[in-house]
Order: sequence, then structure tokens, then C-alpha cells
Amino acid sequence: MRRSAAVLGSTALAATLLLTACGGSAGSSGAAADGKVTITIDLFGTFGYKESGLYEEYTKLHPNITVKQTDTQDEGQYWQALQTKLAGGGGLADIQGLEVGRVASVLQKQADKFTDLKTLGLGAVNDELVPWKGAAAKTADGRILGAGTDIGPEAICFRTDLFKAAGLPTDRTELAARWSTWQGYLDLGRQYVAKATPGNVWTDSAAGMFTAEVGQQQVRYADESGKPVHESSPAVKTAWADAGRLVADGLSAKLPQWTPEWNKAFSTGKFATLSCPAWMLGYIKGQAGTAGAGTWDVAPGPGRTGNWGGSYLTVPRTAKHPKEAAELIRWLTAKEQQTTLFTKQGSFPSSTGAQAAIKDVTDPYFSNAPIGQIFSESAAAMPAQVLGVDDGVIGKAFTDALGEVERTGTAPDTAWKHALDNIRKANGS
Amino acid sequence: MRRAGRSEPKGSRALRSPLHGGPLAYAVLIAATVVFAFPFYWTLVAASRSNAELSSTTPALTPGPNLLHNLGEALEQAEIGRALLNSLLVSATVTAGVVLSSTLAGFAFAKLRFRGRGLLLAVTVATMMIPPQLGVIPLFMLIVRLDLQNTLPSVILPSLVSAFGVFFMRQYLVQALPDELVEAGRVDGASLLRIFRSIVLPVARPGMAVLGMLTFMATWNDFFWPVVALSSQNPTVQVALKSLGQGYVPDQSVVMAGALLGTLPVLLVFGVLGRQIVGGIMQGAVKG
Amino acid sequence: MALTSSARLPAAGPAPARTRRAGRLAPYGFLTPFFVLFAAFGLFPLLYTAYVSLHRVELQTTDRMDWFGLQNYTRLLADPFFWNALRNTFTIGVLSTVPQLLTALGLAHLLNYRLRGRTFFRVAMLLPYATSVAAATLVFAQLFGRDYGLVNWVLGELGLGPVDWQAGTWSSQLGVSAVVTWRWTGYNALIYLAGMQAIPGELYESTAVDGASKWQQFRHVTIPGLRPTIVFTVVVSTIGATQLFGEPLLYEGNAGGGISHQYQTLGLYLYEQGWTFFHLGRAAAVAWVMFLLIVVLALLNAAIAARRNRTDR
Repeated sequence: MRRSAAVLGSTALAATLLLTACGGSAGSSGAAADGKVTITIDLFGTFGYKESGLYEEYTKLHPNITVKQTDTQDEGQYWQALQTKLAGGGGLADIQGLEVGRVASVLQKQADKFTDLKTLGLGAVNDELVPWKGAAAKTADGRILGAGTDIGPEAICFRTDLFKAAGLPTDRTELAARWSTWQGYLDLGRQYVAKATPGNVWTDSAAGMFTAEVGQQQVRYADESGKPVHESSPAVKTAWADAGRLVADGLSAKLPQWTPEWNKAFSTGKFATLSCPAWMLGYIKGQAGTAGAGTWDVAPGPGRTGNWGGSYLTVPRTAKHPKEAAELIRWLTAKEQQTTLFTKQGSFPSSTGAQAAIKDVTDPYFSNAPIGQIFSESAAAMPAQVLGVDDGVIGKAFTDALGEVERTGTAPDTAWKHALDNIRKANGS
Repeated sequence: MRRAGRSEPKGSRALRSPLHGGPLAYAVLIAATVVFAFPFYWTLVAASRSNAELSSTTPALTPGPNLLHNLGEALEQAEIGRALLNSLLVSATVTAGVVLSSTLAGFAFAKLRFRGRGLLLAVTVATMMIPPQLGVIPLFMLIVRLDLQNTLPSVILPSLVSAFGVFFMRQYLVQALPDELVEAGRVDGASLLRIFRSIVLPVARPGMAVLGMLTFMATWNDFFWPVVALSSQNPTVQVALKSLGQGYVPDQSVVMAGALLGTLPVLLVFGVLGRQIVGGIMQGAVKG
Repeated sequence: MALTSSARLPAAGPAPARTRRAGRLAPYGFLTPFFVLFAAFGLFPLLYTAYVSLHRVELQTTDRMDWFGLQNYTRLLADPFFWNALRNTFTIGVLSTVPQLLTALGLAHLLNYRLRGRTFFRVAMLLPYATSVAAATLVFAQLFGRDYGLVNWVLGELGLGPVDWQAGTWSSQLGVSAVVTWRWTGYNALIYLAGMQAIPGELYESTAVDGASKWQQFRHVTIPGLRPTIVFTVVVSTIGATQLFGEPLLYEGNAGGGISHQYQTLGLYLYEQGWTFFHLGRAAAVAWVMFLLIVVLALLNAAIAARRNRTDR
């Protein structure tokens, strides 16, 4: 009897395990019998590959390959999920995107979880890029963990229709001169808000302006030796003060970036300007849609330079098709595709060859703005940023704290302390 | 209790009860129903509109024309189709496991005498209080080590048995299964397993059905552990919905279409079995 | 075969020694499937959590555990965010549980009337319970949107200013509580209804003869008769509130629980420690503190119930 009860139980158990095993294996994308391969690629924000038809083109060139992309808008969420997957090695795609603020962390803490691209025949993948871009993805012992995609030269995007309605000039050169400094940007903002319809303000958030302004400095959150300097760094202090002024003067729409409310505001016109790294152009197109075409424009921003973001493509150790993934990466990051991406999506090339090719690009969506010229100039003046291990965490803590200032009326000094508390909490000290 | 419950519609109390529902009672109940139902209706409205319409200053209050388009987008972008299948597999397996193991153990606790019965039952009941979060960290380390992360067994195995289920079936069988029946089977010379199959199971069936429904719904809606163990690459419905909520898809009307798709199967079950589920929960309440 | 079944049933007869031994063991056979899995996936993780909480364990390197003593706990107690989460768990617990149970009681009372379409009403009440936390929260997050949400639109039509349902402390906690209340009110109403139906009709009859009003009947017959059920729902809701996680996580989609952590609950704090900051050891310590909290609350509940019983008798 004892046996029979146990048999009953274990049969049931075996049946369920069998069932689940089937369910589990259904999930793995593998090479099918006919030699077809599905490469999975997991990204954040808007890389623009899908939007500009690059995957389709690749499949045309390689009929046995299909590319399947998943995407999380908020890089913070993406990073968190990536860490959980890296810990267990399960659920990683063949190609994972990596933001520039996380590269140092991966190099230092998780280099072993990624494949050295040299071993996949991509030893020269970063050779044609601006030098700092490739250097940032190379470990001390010479392994190449990521292939550089775009960089984030900064400008300002603005709504010509709203500017006109408020009696502001819409000429790019004139605007660039008026807001040649952040003080000038704030001054013009005050003028705008005084004349604009109520409820319509100057820019989306304090966080956006803060990140853009910090991004203009070489040393931001860590110095060359890797020591965290966010508490004393002049770059952070100045940007923090300016962002505080922005809020105090009522120039911010108080929208948290990368949230549904922020997304919706692109189509409703709650704000007139936006700190625009080149890749933001693609995001605007995605959110404002065809209806927004021609209402936006781009002008050189305060300081006429800065870098915000930019990314890498990596191949995790657990990738099922590392060879095929590497080939796709080689193609996606090549000069021609970087050129296409800028033309269609605005993601600014890190490839020097592509940079030379896009100098004259204009974008009809953005009122035919000479985006090639604007962003090339911004990129040329860009400092070689020092990347710290915790850049991502620190940046988020400060932008969150600015959100507190604008949304809950927290005093900037208190919010500053909160930011430091949050950084300490995250770093476990 | 069960017998009383069954005869309740024409029960003596209702007829003699001084409590009659007046117009006010209806008004309040209808108002409450509207409040309870409105979010469902609004999900449908939002899922059938476009993103731009959702961000207009006067919100849409009636369904629009975009439902099929948004459903398609949700299926494609957030793996909702895959998620539905995964959820179905997980919930069905877990339900089978819980009902079977609970009936076996519930029968033993209810009708068999053996050394340590009181202690084992006490341990079982006591663990019902433990928050699921408490086990999450070692479980996570365990599945990482077993290489099960992001696979369906990682969410099935930990839920395959339930202390609540054992307690529920024990309570049910104590009352529903007369000792004499078991005894008669034994006198006839049947093995215990045979008794279980031909005497206990038929009597236990209504209780198993209720436990099955409750387990299925609870598993379908389970959140914390699947979020930790699975990723958006191989999600259950709830994991897919979480990805949607965290900006996996920029279009809010598509997010709402996803929520609709994830809820629909449970609503369908409710449409068919609503009365039984209500009965089951009320029955369980009196016993619990 | 014939006699292998003699477990010690109420009237077990004599049996040969061998089969008697088998019979003695048979009940354990019935328990085996449950207890084997339960030990592996229920009991083991539980105890192991305590062990983990005494170590420094990082998510990225789970195979490395460094002895940490009680440091995870002392740091926890020194962390203002922990106390913030504890406070939020309490206030959100009250904001969601109290209105929920009171409304449920009222609805149950109405459902207990003789009504046309009673099954319809009951099923309708229970529908939110069938919805998942994730789906419900996504929908409510939309309704409570600051700039384009329906709730603020209605407030605007009524001439009231828009409320920031995300950034404000009370407003965001109310928003989160609304999801909980919506999902569980109907369920609790049915539980109360079941309890009410178990109260003998004669009690109502006799008080009616004594000329008691409906309200007096409700107070003096219904409520006392429901006491065990009420205790049950209070315990279940309290435990649920202590573990609140999905609603605050998806309300704005991040583990911080709002811009100033103003609605971060303990469950969310645990998740943030473990899966945003990757400190599994510290998360394990949070788990144990939560567990102790629940034990204390359960004991408190039991004590109050016992005391009320004594004073009543």
C-alpha cells in the first residue's frame, strides 16, 4: 500500500514535470532543422534598428536569419532585469544592449559574463570609432566586451508652433545665440512662460536639463582614478543649481522621464523645449508620431556640446548563437548602417567614417533642421568623459531627487541629501 | 454545513426572514456593481482607442475602433500570446498537483490515525502564515544553481503543493466523508489505495473542484515569485503585464489591450462557473 | 493484498505482523507527495533565508557568501528607508483594510436580503477578485494619471483642482489603497455573507417580535454572530497588507515606491534591496523582519479575540 500511494504521487509528479519540461523547451529559440536561426536582441530606449528597417534588410541579405527584438524604454528597468538574468544565466538574449553609464560596472564586476568579441572575429569592431568609445569597452587585459553603436551629442529640440504662438524667434542661429549659456536658456524660458498659454511650460523636467548639463563636463560622478566625486564635483553642483532655478521659476512640466505621462505629453504639447541628445530625435518621432512632423525643430544648445548616453552591443556568455550574433553586430555597427540610423532615426554615429558621411543630413520631420551639422559640431567639441562604475546609479539618484523637488515641493537642499542617501543605499555602504 | 449550504435557496430562514430588499438596497447594490465593473469597462475603452486619444484633455468614455489593432500589437510586442500559453500550462499543472497532493494528505489527516498526526497537521497549518517573500531569496539561489531560471518549472515546482490546500481538503473530508464508509470498505477487504479511489475520491470531488478553482485563479494571478524567476523573454501573463507596466511598450492603449487579454480568460471562466466559484468561496469561508 | 489496508481505522482488527507494519506506514504514503515537495520548496527556503541573512550575498555572485554576522540587521534598523517602508506599510494597510472591511460588511448585509438577481450581484462583486494585481494596477494607474487621468478629469469637472496621485504622500497611498480595496471588497462581502447565512433566522425573528429596528438587528444579532468571521477577515487582510507588493510596484512601475519612497512598502523594500540594489543578504534580513512582524500581529489578533471572548461570557 505504501508503495502504491507513493506510486500514485510520483506518477502525478512525473507527469507534471514532463508537461512542464515540454513547456520549458518550447521557449528556447534554437536552430531549427532547416538551418534557420533566430537571433534574439534585447535593448532599451530606442536604438532604431527596427524602426529604420535594418533587421529586414539583414534578413534579406541572410535569408536563414531572423532577428527578434525586445525593448524596455527605461534603461533603469532594463539594467535591473539584465542583472537578474546575468546572475542566473537564464533568459539572456543573444545580443544585449549596454548603456555607456553601465560599461565601467560591467568591465569591473561582470567581465566574465560576456564574450570577448575578439574570439568571435570582431577584434577590429571598434577600430573605426572615436577613440574613447572603443577604449571604454576594453578591459585592462585587452578583452573587447562591447561594440560601440551611437554616441549622444547634445542639442535642444523645440516646438516651432509653440514658439511662434508665444512670440519667440524660431531661427536656429538666433536661438543658439540667445541660449548660448544655460542662464540664457532659463531667461528665454521665463519669457516664454510669461506669454504662453497657461499649463504650457518651457521644458519637460528638471532631470532632462540636469543630465544634459552634467554631460558637458569631462569629470562628472567619478574622477580619473575611479574615486566617486559626485558630492563635490563642480559639474554636478552647477547643474543641480541650474535645475533648481528651472523649477523655482516654474519652467518645468514636472514630468518624470520615461513614464507614460511623459510619453503622452509629446503629442499634447505640454512643453516647448527638450534637452536633446541625438538619439532623442528617434524617441520624439516615436512618441509624437506622424502628427508631430514639422512642429519640432533642432538648434545647437547651451555650450554647443555635451554627451548624454550612447550604447554598446554585447554578446553574453550564454548566447545560443554567438557566431551569428557577432556577424549581426558587425553589420549593425558598420559605417553604412550607422549612417542609415542617423539619417532615419537621429542616433549619432560613433564611427568616424559615418560621421564624415552624415555632415549634410537634414531631417524633414524636424523642419529640415541641419541635424548632421548641428550634432557633428556638438560631437567635435565633446570631452572624453570619465566613466565611473556607479554612473548609472548616481545619475538616477540625482534625477529622482530633482523629481522630488519639482513634484512634491521638497527643498533642493533636502532633496540633495536624499540623493546622497539613495546612492549610499544602492552601494550598500 | 455543506448540506445546509445546498438547501439554502429554499431554506427556512429566507422565507421567514423579516429582511426584504427595498429599493434602497437595490440602488446601493447597483451602484456598487457599477463601481466594481467600471474599471473593466474602462479597460475596454482604453484598449480600443489610440494613444493620442488617451492623452486628450477630455477623456474618451466610449469604446473606439482600434481594439483589434491594439490587441494585435500587444500580442506581438509583449509576448502576450506566449504568456497566455505559459500561464495556462503553469496554472493547470499546479492545480493538478495541489488538488492531488492535498486530497491525499487531507484524507490521511482527516480519517487515518498515525503517529505524529497532530504535530504534522500543526506544522502544516502554522506555515500558512508565512509570507511567500520569506522563501524567495533561497528559492532564487536554488533555481539559479539548478539552471532553471526563466523556465516554467521554476514557477511550477515551488507551488506544486499548498499547505492551505491540505488544510482545506482535511476540513472538507472530516465533514463530508463518514467514518462508516471508510470502515465498510475496509471490512470488504479493500486496500487503502482502493478505498481512496473508489470511496474517498467520489465524496471529495466537490471539495476538489472548489480547491481547483481557487488554486487555478491564485496561480494565474501569482505575481511576486514569477516576476523574480521569469523574464519578459519567457513570461507568464503577470510577468508580461509587469513588463507592459514598466514601459516595455510605449503605447498606453496597447498596455491596456494587454491587460484586457490577460484578464479575459479568468473572466470567461467566471462567466461559466461564477455561481460555483461564489459558492466555493462562501463554503470555504464558513469552514475556515 | 486483502489486508494490506489495515491502517488504524476506527475499528481496525487484528492483522499479521508484516502487513500491520505496512499498514502503520500507509498513511505516510499519502502524506509523502505533499511533504517531500513542501520540505524542498517550502520549509528549506524558509530556514535557509535565516542563514542567508547572516551573510553578505550579492545577486551577481550568488555562489559567494561572506559571513556578516548581524550586520544586515543592524544596518537595516539604522536605515531610515526601512522605517519609512514600515510606516508606509502600516498606513497603506489601514487605508486599504478599514474601508474595505466596512464596505464589505454593508454590502453583505444588503446581499443577505431577499433579492432578485442575487447570483448576478454576487458574481459581480467577486469579479475584481478574479483580476490579477498586475492588470488591476495598470488600469488604476491610468485612471489616477496626473495630467490625463480620468479621476482628475472628474475632479476638474466638479471644479476641484487636479491631484498629483503619484508624487503626493497621502494621495499616492490612497491610489495604491484604492487598488487593494477594489480587488478585495467583494470577496470579503461574500465571506461575511456566508457568515450571516449561518446565523439562525430565529434570532432575527425573535428580535423582530421584540420590536427591534433593522439597525438594531444588525448591531445586536448580525455583528455578534459574525464575530469569528470578522476576526478571520481581519487576520487575512492584515497579513495581506503586511505583504503588499504588486500594487505599489506597478503603480508607477518602479521598485522605489514613488519619487520620495512615499508609498514604498516592506515587500517592495525587500524587492528593491534584492533585485534593484542586488543585496540578497540584506533582502533576506528584511524577509525575516517581515515574518516576525506577522507573527506579532497574529498573536496580537489572537490575544484581542481571546480577551473579547472572555469579557463577553
